[in-house]
Amino acid sequence: MNILAQLPVIPIILPLVTAPLAMLMPSEKMGGRAPFVFATFVVWAVFAACAGLLHSVATTGPISYHLGDWAPPIGIEYRIDLANALVLTLVSGIAALVFPFSYESIRSEIDRRQISYFYAALLICMTGLLGVTITGDAFNVFVFLEISSLSTYALVAMGADKDRRALTASFNYLVMGTIGATFFVIGLGLLYQATGTLNMADLKIQLAGDKNRMVEAGFAFIVVGMGLKAAMFPMHLWMPNAYAYAPSAVSAFIAATSTKVAVYVIIRFIYTVIGADFSFAPAAFAWLIAPLAIAGMFFASGVAIFQDDVKRMLAYSSVGQIGYMLFGVSFGTEPGLAASLVHLFNHGLMKGALFMAAACVMLRVGSHNCSAYAGLARRMPFTAGAFIVSGLSLIGVPLTVGFISKWQLLAAAFDSGRAWAGFLIVASSFLAVIYVGRVIELMVLKPAPADAPEIKEAPLSMLVPMLILVAANVYFGLHTELTVDLSERAAHALMGAGR
Amino acid sequence: MAGDNGLLSALAMNPAVILTVGAVLGAFVPNGFAAIRRPLMLVFVAMSAFQLQRLGLGEYGALSIFGEPVTMLRIDPLSRIFAVVFHIAAALNLIYAWRSRDRAQDFATLAYPAAALGGVLAGDLVTLFVWWELAAMTSAFFVLGPGTRATFLAAMRYLTIQILSGVLLLAGIVLVYRETGSLAFGEIGLRDGAGAIKMSGLVMLLAFGIKAAFPLLHNWVQDSYPKADFAGTIVLSVFTTKLAVASLARAFPGTGELVYIGAVMTIFPIFFALIENDLKKVLCYSINNQIGFMVIGIGFGTAASMNGAVGYAFTNIIFESLLFMAVGAAIYRTGTSKATELGGLYRTMPVTMVFCIIGAMSISAFPGFAGFVTKGLIIDAAGEAHAFWIWLVLLFASAGVLEHAGIKIPYFTFFAHDSARRPKEAPPAMLIAMGISAFLCIAIGVYPEPLYALMPYPEALADYHPYAPYHVVEQLQLLLWAVLAFAVLILIKWYPAEVPSANLDTDWFYRVPGRDLFIWAVAAVRAIWRLVWRLASTRFMRAMDRIYAVHGPEGAMARSWPTGFMALATAVVLGLALFIAFIS
Repeated sequence: MNILAQLPVIPIILPLVTAPLAMLMPSEKMGGRAPFVFATFVVWAVFAACAGLLHSVATTGPISYHLGDWAPPIGIEYRIDLANALVLTLVSGIAALVFPFSYESIRSEIDRRQISYFYAALLICMTGLLGVTITGDAFNVFVFLEISSLSTYALVAMGADKDRRALTASFNYLVMGTIGATFFVIGLGLLYQATGTLNMADLKIQLAGDKNRMVEAGFAFIVVGMGLKAAMFPMHLWMPNAYAYAPSAVSAFIAATSTKVAVYVIIRFIYTVIGADFSFAPAAFAWLIAPLAIAGMFFASGVAIFQDDVKRMLAYSSVGQIGYMLFGVSFGTEPGLAASLVHLFNHGLMKGALFMAAACVMLRVGSHNCSAYAGLARRMPFTAGAFIVSGLSLIGVPLTVGFISKWQLLAAAFDSGRAWAGFLIVASSFLAVIYVGRVIELMVLKPAPADAPEIKEAPLSMLVPMLILVAANVYFGLHTELTVDLSERAAHALMGAGR
Repeated sequence: MAGDNGLLSALAMNPAVILTVGAVLGAFVPNGFAAIRRPLMLVFVAMSAFQLQRLGLGEYGALSIFGEPVTMLRIDPLSRIFAVVFHIAAALNLIYAWRSRDRAQDFATLAYPAAALGGVLAGDLVTLFVWWELAAMTSAFFVLGPGTRATFLAAMRYLTIQILSGVLLLAGIVLVYRETGSLAFGEIGLRDGAGAIKMSGLVMLLAFGIKAAFPLLHNWVQDSYPKADFAGTIVLSVFTTKLAVASLARAFPGTGELVYIGAVMTIFPIFFALIENDLKKVLCYSINNQIGFMVIGIGFGTAASMNGAVGYAFTNIIFESLLFMAVGAAIYRTGTSKATELGGLYRTMPVTMVFCIIGAMSISAFPGFAGFVTKGLIIDAAGEAHAFWIWLVLLFASAGVLEHAGIKIPYFTFFAHDSARRPKEAPPAMLIAMGISAFLCIAIGVYPEPLYALMPYPEALADYHPYAPYHVVEQLQLLLWAVLAFAVLILIKWYPAEVPSANLDTDWFYRVPGRDLFIWAVAAVRAIWRLVWRLASTRFMRAMDRIYAVHGPEGAMARSWPTGFMALATAVVLGLALFIAFIS
């Protein structure tokens, strides 16, 4: 058997099988290093596999992998094209940085006896996100979605060791996530009822030219269910608390990946399953997705300005940023879709780096309140520097990935004849200037409180992954070959399939 | 955006970038090793010159920025002659202040010529703009150099004007792009086919005109250049205005208005120069006057007059620098540049005196010196165009040059009344730099053929003989009468005496009544703004309160809502989605 032919299944099967092994490893001997090291190596292998998949898809075209050699539409198919290869690389890449990053942070934030459970859950969470992304089977999406969601609830709840509010946050997330998943599976049921198939490509064929109330209702359920998972305004209310009270490393991982995966699923269902020419899609773009995206861009950013808690601020900022992605999708044009995919990738990079910086502050200062950031530029120069660079990226300053995102979005807005959309994007960016600028001002200009204890810079094991991610923010801001070109090709393929 | 390898290699091959790298490296040399800074920079000048020679004529560094083709490096006969003389001038400047230990000025001594060189070699308007602004910024180091409050203010005024020119250039670029759809830097012209003045041409001409110090746009030269120290003024005198001349020659050849602008430029500085006491300022007025000759040559736009304008720029850089260097040496040794405080230095600075006279004879276009073989081209062009009045103006201006630059500078520095100062001869490095310049002045004057071969239209020079008897006689008549006039004026004491005074130039209008007007306008704007602010601020604060009430930490948007409410929100969205699905 050729191992390379089995490459598509490795990102799923490897962490899924090794997660129980990680759980069996001792948490308390050697300070829980065994599960940590083990899981880290697994994740690196997964990242290597995903990068290999991206390379292979970019050079030779989409891959179709039949699980157990059962031919679709009966069997489950993993179908990897540029769009999901990009998301796979993002998720596994962020994981490959968060896992080594997490150790010091986690040891100080969760019950030490739970370290092996933690790494098992994080591996499973990543598996679920990768599975949602990689699969070409609609029901399989639901299965992996639940795998990732359930493990995320557990991970968020582990923050209770520091802050008991993590329990209610996790419980709310569980209820809301379940509602979202239920909506999603109801929608799937309706589609299945109409077509008798669950394979995405096959669904597309069966639905062609079919104008059917049941399908439209099913599609509405799917978009709303996934919109909830993506924290689309106004269904984002579960998210700020979940991100704020989860252990910092978990926040960094899920903020950079899970909502992006949900946005990806929305894009995938709109273009690959239902087709953009399906009458519901343009109406949904114009009357549902675009207004809610704009509302998110402004209201959530407005809330972020007044937040006292930096992690909550970043969470609200994420709601706004999801707004940008959905706004790009709602243009219904190829550049708009490409811009969304670019921003999806880039936002993962910046939010990951920002939450990592917040984790470093949490470790050394012990709080994620704004006051903890006063005078940080002198107390923790590298962490503050990382926050500033990725914060500038979030605003969209040239030389960072944020600029590339905004540029692509603006170009797409003007390209589709929506000059007003360009205006809204720029206007909401000013809100980002305020909320990021506020923290930067605290770090750089305000002195630390007089009674603040001496603190060290974050340990090297956290600094290095964080700075790699910050460097990626700059690197992909200068070298757009990978992100922009691949996104444009992915958008072209998706739209081409939609026609 | 272009491929990065393309960009990198395009940058690496550009002589201007090589110079810039040299300047930056030089700036990083620690102060303890300041002695190696200038030798190191000189090596980079040599490397850049070698690269220029190696590339030869052609266009390089073609890239595309946002889908627009740009040419970062264009070496054609017009840009080549400027590039050659910029290298000579950069090297001479480095040698002249060899013992300088000032990091900022050392950096600027190479970075500023580099920027001017980049601008001259730019093949497209975007590249031109970048170097244009870099030249403005790097040159400001010299004006800032002495570090007093007066120089700081002068530097701010200088930067304001230079940046204004840059902004106008940018506006002009946009207009040109809209008109032609191309960013290529070629002929723009002031008028369109129907003879109406083009907005794009006008804005571009204004941008170039500020840097070329057109009349009424010229005050920044006299304001800022003399504020730099003795070495800085020399560097400044070479590049900014010549970059503007090169750009004018590229974009506005044959634009008739330039002839009249140039004519005014050649005349008016003469009077200011005659009554000016500060010899540095005299030379700055002389820059205006000299640029005037070039502008006239560009305005005629014939092959011969373009040769004249460009060739005159070449030789002017050399002899104008020589004059500045000689006066600089006197300043270096005595600490003053006032005619009233100098004089009689020939006793102890004879070599400098000889070099100064060589420069003076060159600028006055004595036969046998560099000015003669190039200025004649311009005057001839006026004659050939049957522009009698312009021809007359040129002759008058030539006589005027002799008065203020050719005689006044050496006379008041080295002769005139004895100031009783007995300074030492200039240091060797200065003498070497001046010696090279003086040698070039004579060499070009005696054997102009290599310079003629460098000119943009060498074929137009085939039957031009600078030493035809007609030329020599005409010029000698002119010069001798002018010398006679000077001698007579001195003897009967009618020549404006050396008086320590400040002369008013047209900048008085914007520095005195203009300033008052400006201050009044500021006060008026402030009063109106306060009124508006008072009216708006209460409303604004109320609006902010409302936003905070909704978005603040306890606001409806940010509260931690119970699960039921979240589910309700989801249900509402689902209802909306279903509704849309059913009506669509």
